[in-house]
Amino acid sequence: MSTPTKDQIKALEQSRQRLVQLTHSLASLIASLNQSDPLPSWPSLQSQATILSNNLLSISEHLSENQPLLSSLVAYPGPDFPGRTQAPTLEQLLRTKLDPRVEDWVARGRRRAVPDTNSNNNNNGGDGVTADNDNNLSEHDLAELWHWAPVEANREARQRDWGGDYTLEERQGGVANVVTGLRRVLDDGEDDLESSGSSEGEGNEGQGEDEEMEVVGVRMRPGAGAVAGGGGLEFDIATGGAHGASAVGGEDGGVGVQKVVAPVVPLEGILRFMTTGAQPGQR
Amino acid sequence: MHELLLFASVPAHQHHELLQQLAGLTAMQPRHRLERRLIFKAYRKPGLINTRVGASQDLQGNEMQRLNKMLNGGMFYTQVVGPLDESDFGLNRSSAGDPDAAMSGTEELPTNGPTYSYENQPWKLEFRDIPEAGTRSAVTARLMASSSLPKGDISTPMTAWGYSFVSEYVVEGDIFVLDDIVIFLHRVLNYPTEPQSHEPRRELPPLSDMVLLERSGSYVLQASITVQDGGNQEMMKTASQHLFGLREQLKSAVRLEQADRLSLDTRAK
Repeated sequence: MSTPTKDQIKALEQSRQRLVQLTHSLASLIASLNQSDPLPSWPSLQSQATILSNNLLSISEHLSENQPLLSSLVAYPGPDFPGRTQAPTLEQLLRTKLDPRVEDWVARGRRRAVPDTNSNNNNNGGDGVTADNDNNLSEHDLAELWHWAPVEANREARQRDWGGDYTLEERQGGVANVVTGLRRVLDDGEDDLESSGSSEGEGNEGQGEDEEMEVVGVRMRPGAGAVAGGGGLEFDIATGGAHGASAVGGEDGGVGVQKVVAPVVPLEGILRFMTTGAQPGQR
Repeated sequence: MHELLLFASVPAHQHHELLQQLAGLTAMQPRHRLERRLIFKAYRKPGLINTRVGASQDLQGNEMQRLNKMLNGGMFYTQVVGPLDESDFGLNRSSAGDPDAAMSGTEELPTNGPTYSYENQPWKLEFRDIPEAGTRSAVTARLMASSSLPKGDISTPMTAWGYSFVSEYVVEGDIFVLDDIVIFLHRVLNYPTEPQSHEPRRELPPLSDMVLLERSGSYVLQASITVQDGGNQEMMKTASQHLFGLREQLKSAVRLEQADRLSLDTRAK
């Protein structure tokens, strides 16, 4: 065995540096998750994830580039190595088998990487259960799903206005008429939510989910008492109409009866209109 | 002159509360303000020759250069602002015949009909540059200039100056003053009908008929400081420090922020 050449040492040094970088970015991610309260914002998490994935990418590139060298290298202690004082390091270096923990990771990674064999029996306890759930689909089903999803998602997306908390239909009907079913009102006046005057019956299910459905009132259909499921419910759909009641006049007087409505037009849109007269929504 | 600005969006339900908070903070009652704002857009007149062709040897002052650029260089949207009174708006149809409806009107004209007189409408020309790019401080800073205009019909002189009328709207809001900061809590009202002719309206519809631009009724909070000498970095810094101070004070109520620069882009393309 000859001593490594300069190039080989350089390659080793490079892999060391990249690994150091990776541990650094991992450590900073962990630190930010541990320390910051509230949790770091999405953009910062995402940028950190990008950094990590770039690190991983460069490492894997580097490793595969130098695969022949790295797989043929053997470490052995020289006579002048301080084996007595540096025993743990020596053991670490001379180890031929992976750390048991690391072995688990590798095994898990291998299992994920193996193409699906439709076998759902993993004997590895809790950690693999959720991971393998999506492997229930066969290759064909998966392909079909991927084929179907983008078209369908696009179709769905076209029907929506992505501006804010309200759907396009709701906005066309006037935001003031939308009854969200949420109880976040300034005061305790929860009856104020019922703007279209339909009496809210006892069969009022799914308050939270009505948000996008413009369902104003839900009540039991007369005579359909014990029908299972939602069959016995009647829905009053909000009618689109003028919002004029709260438009310009003295709404400032009655604060207690006001709903919490987030602004529909973003500040930028308003400023742009004020500057150039460009209607919000058309760029 | 320079203007330093911070903006915040205020949802309708918070408006009343914020008015009171501001009244407390500034120790003054809100001053209600109604303004007509006309947007004009500069266009290059055919045959207009840029007089500064070639290399000019004389060095101009900073402000002069700016002014020249303003006049000859880019073309900008400019606003013409006219103060209004509530009595300037047409009366509600429901109360048109009611003599009490003119209660809030000006004293000299207690008539039943709309008292708005386009001929006597005072105007002010307000020029705003696009906010400065890449300023490290987190406030919107822009060059501004304003001057008085003749009363009455404004579209004729504006046309003569090379501006064409784009559109108009009404701003409704309240003004507070805190030291050197002017706080304007306002929202935009649109006219209910499209204009017949492409020029400023001569009559105003009833105020209650005006349509909110932001249909949830939210307001815009604008805090501004005007700095006379924008070249004085020390002054600009002090002014932005004052704005930051206000931002800290209002932190629990609203989040004052720098505006998106391009949303205040007044350059006409």
